[in-house]
Amino acid sequence: MLKLGKIITHIAVLYGIFLIGNWIQLTFHLIIPGSVIGMILLFILLYTKSIKVSWIEDGTRLFVSHLTLFFIPATVGIVNYLQLFTGEGILLIIIVLISTALVMGISGVVSQWFVRKKEMHHE
Amino acid sequence: MNNIVIGLLAIIGTLIVYLFMWKLHRRILLPVTLPIFLGSIVIVLILLIFHIDYDTYMIGGEWINQLLGPAVVALAYPLYQQRDLLKRLFFPILMGTFVGAVVGIMSGVLLAKWLGVEEFIIYSLVSKSVTTPVSIVIADSLGGAMPLAAVFVMLAGMCGVLIAPFIFKAFKIDHVIGRGVGIGSASHAIGTARAMEDGPLGGSASTVAMVLSAIIVSIIAPILVEWMI
Repeated sequence: MLKLGKIITHIAVLYGIFLIGNWIQLTFHLIIPGSVIGMILLFILLYTKSIKVSWIEDGTRLFVSHLTLFFIPATVGIVNYLQLFTGEGILLIIIVLISTALVMGISGVVSQWFVRKKEMHHE
Repeated sequence: MNNIVIGLLAIIGTLIVYLFMWKLHRRILLPVTLPIFLGSIVIVLILLIFHIDYDTYMIGGEWINQLLGPAVVALAYPLYQQRDLLKRLFFPILMGTFVGAVVGIMSGVLLAKWLGVEEFIIYSLVSKSVTTPVSIVIADSLGGAMPLAAVFVMLAGMCGVLIAPFIFKAFKIDHVIGRGVGIGSASHAIGTARAMEDGPLGGSASTVAMVLSAIIVSIIAPILVEWMI
């Protein structure tokens, strides 16, 4: 029961930071989503030790390990778009496949090149 | 009162389906047994069979959706855990992720335009390489459909895991960091889970790439899309 209370508190902290992120986005008219601003904010708070990891750890761990649970309702919305994936809609899957292959290949090659360059400098 | 009952049923039903699929996935570790994939299919089938509107399901689903924002904030924690790697290899990972983000947005838009795909579908497809809660917000702000965006993200994740071995070979990516960044940039959390099975360093690189990619794409997608369409 104590653990459950802790987890709820941790998630409340995350929610609070999310609201602050939203507020920053609206106030400064930024394109970057409030949730992403909140994430950067929490990272900075943790990194500068402004807040203790123990304030958010258990709840966040549980959250991150079951992240996809929260994606289900949004994904189920596809029920209203099922006709898109019949016939020529299969092309959409092929677009995603090709684009994903390009992203993986090119981002991998680029980072590998920079890592190798760095490794050579150190040796 | 009725709405509360419907809402609770939707929430509890989603939880039960998820937990069941999660257990199944732990037994059969395949991309096609992912809880997000099978779980969504099961719920879609339930809605279709019992003629339940999506809006009715969302009376409860909306409550789960409320946690998408904090879920993104929570990603700061895995990034914080990888802070040493982030510090040590910030530039190589950032460069790979950035180029990957540009390639992902541009190739998606160009292919879709070339094939004559409707505009709102293109907008839903732009951010497919980043994690669902960020991707659907980007798609929504561009004028796309959130559920479509969520499905494209899932497809990018599953396709990515399936093709990764061939891509690594074709592009001669044999460095653990290159592989991690590749799979994290293209296939977000689904790819990262796969990368972790191969080892902690690749998993860490994938985690960092996934989080950086979410930040980068949310900034550059609106700019690139406006320029391209």
